[in-house]
Amino acid sequence: MSGDSSFLAQPGRRAAIPIMVLLLLGFVAPLLAVVGFSFMPPRTFGLWHEPSLENYERIFSDNTYVSLLWSLGLASLTVVLLALICYPVAYGLVRVFGRWSTALTLLFTIPLIVSENIRLYGWVLFFIKGGVLPGTLKALFGVEMGDFLFTPAAVLFGMVYVYLPFMLFPMTLGIAMVPNQMREAARDLGATRWQVFREVELPLSTPGLMIGSLLTFVLAVGAIAEAKVLGGQRIIPITHDIEIAFTYAQNWPLGAALAVLLMLVVSVLVLTVLKRFDLDQILGKR
Amino acid sequence: MFDSHLTRRNFMKTSASVAATFAASQMGPFSRPAYAARDKELNILCWEGYNSAQVLDPFRSSKSANVKAESLTNDPTMINRLRAGEINVWDLINVNNPWARKIMMPEKLIKPLDRAKFEPYFDKMLPQFKPPYKWAMDDSGKELLGMAQRFGPYSFVVNTDKISRKTAEDQGWDLFNDPKLAGRFGILESDDWNVFGICAIAGFDPYKPHSAEEVAKFEETAKRVLKNKKVVGDIATMNQALVSGEIDCHLTGGSYSVSPARADGHLNLRAITPNKGPFAGGKGGIAWIEITSVVNNPVSSPLAEQFLEYVQDPAVAHTVAFAEGTFNPVAQMGNPECFKLFSKEQLEAIQWDSLDEEMARSVEYDIVPDYDKLLDIWNAAKKT
Repeated sequence: MSGDSSFLAQPGRRAAIPIMVLLLLGFVAPLLAVVGFSFMPPRTFGLWHEPSLENYERIFSDNTYVSLLWSLGLASLTVVLLALICYPVAYGLVRVFGRWSTALTLLFTIPLIVSENIRLYGWVLFFIKGGVLPGTLKALFGVEMGDFLFTPAAVLFGMVYVYLPFMLFPMTLGIAMVPNQMREAARDLGATRWQVFREVELPLSTPGLMIGSLLTFVLAVGAIAEAKVLGGQRIIPITHDIEIAFTYAQNWPLGAALAVLLMLVVSVLVLTVLKRFDLDQILGKR
Repeated sequence: MFDSHLTRRNFMKTSASVAATFAASQMGPFSRPAYAARDKELNILCWEGYNSAQVLDPFRSSKSANVKAESLTNDPTMINRLRAGEINVWDLINVNNPWARKIMMPEKLIKPLDRAKFEPYFDKMLPQFKPPYKWAMDDSGKELLGMAQRFGPYSFVVNTDKISRKTAEDQGWDLFNDPKLAGRFGILESDDWNVFGICAIAGFDPYKPHSAEEVAKFEETAKRVLKNKKVVGDIATMNQALVSGEIDCHLTGGSYSVSPARADGHLNLRAITPNKGPFAGGKGGIAWIEITSVVNNPVSSPLAEQFLEYVQDPAVAHTVAFAEGTFNPVAQMGNPECFKLFSKEQLEAIQWDSLDEEMARSVEYDIVPDYDKLLDIWNAAKKT
């Protein structure tokens, strides 16, 4: 009790109470409701039934793991591809393009203003039979484009496209954080371009890469529109499973259990990565 | 803050029971503004169309009302939202035919309409809606549960340049059993309806209890159809895929889904109702009829019934038929004043030419007794 009173003795903490209550109500309460629902009997709509593990049993006994693996696999691939694609672009934005960097940054940013679904439907028109790409290839070169739309590859393409800014900008900041003097010192000491990259620039820009990767992974693992619009539901990610449970199946407890499972898996993965790569240490805070 | 016409004294006089008196005394002064506020407030839970500005704005301005409408694309979600407590939120619910009669009224989620006031509207509707119209009535045939408006056949859609109307109607649901169709058809993302379609492709009636053999056949058919499909998507995706030639036909569809493409001039795309099939009486297709009911909201809005009357107006009914999203026949087309508002192109878009024969070849949408089990099988099959 004495601890509580000393805690509240500080005016800052007392002043923080309203916002803490708001945060608890806004963030923690809905999460607790989802967790609570996950222990309710299947296809019930209240939180006051006798708790049951039935939903979790079902998740591990049917083929839900397929959806989870698709989500985790595609998110991981997206992160790897974006790291490979974005690093040279970010490097160019910071070190090479000069005054064009602002214009290029705008070009990467402006699409974010348009709804993701609309952009994805735009790609459908681009890839669909007789669409911009297949139609042009056929008209100009007589080449029939093979199936790309409504395939898992199209889903991956969509995810790389949608999440590119979320990797690019943290990475750009990461590269901008590398002091020029460090690079120059390495060159003066006889390091090759490759050595400068591998031993100076890459390690020092790791915070950007790490933050971009984590951000992209967490967003990508929750992706749904790409698989629905570009993938033609050829694959069902875990998020789509959750949506089906809450809509057509009207099995809120199962949807809640799937959501809890996804949160747990993502949290464990992210915390494991954060444990391996201490962001505070990388950022030089201690 | 109190309504000047409603004093405690005269309220007591008209109260029927002590319980009502107690409830009223519990409400206190804070309840009164809530009642007053609902006079200018209407919340509609509906399929798309009723939520469009074309339909709602004239009503909003004429009543100076705050009208909110949320559109969903499947009935079970809407019903379950009422079950989960949103009965306090909504004033009108617009769902397909069986739900009012078989589920919502027995569960007291909706309340009956005044027959004397609303039944005359049915007299002006198309002949099949003449009162007492089965799906608008409760089991006893005494209570009127809602108003009919949009309807249509809903089985599948073909590109008649690739599969002729005659072939599709003759072959019926078996079309999707043909291995030659692999990779050439889509599936509309409408899973409750897809359960009906898979039952029909498997050769049995969805609207009756199913044996273990039928359930096994459903699973085999679901896996096969999903394996052979080219794409699963929404209405826009299906129409786009049909127009571009990505697919030749798609499962679950009708004038509701294909009418936007037909209105855009793609008259080669056509909703098909098979000549025969596994449904009751050997019928080949399924048809839906929307029934809009007043929700049993404890603090109901008087605008709910007024809105139901408003959409009976011939001009408004025509707007509802061609509101944004999908275009559909409406029961009010039985009124010449309404019918004359439809242009030739609009009648072509909704396949008016074959509507009567297609409705005659269709059974009406009903509740599948083992829907949960079949839907779970269908969803699991999507991941194989």
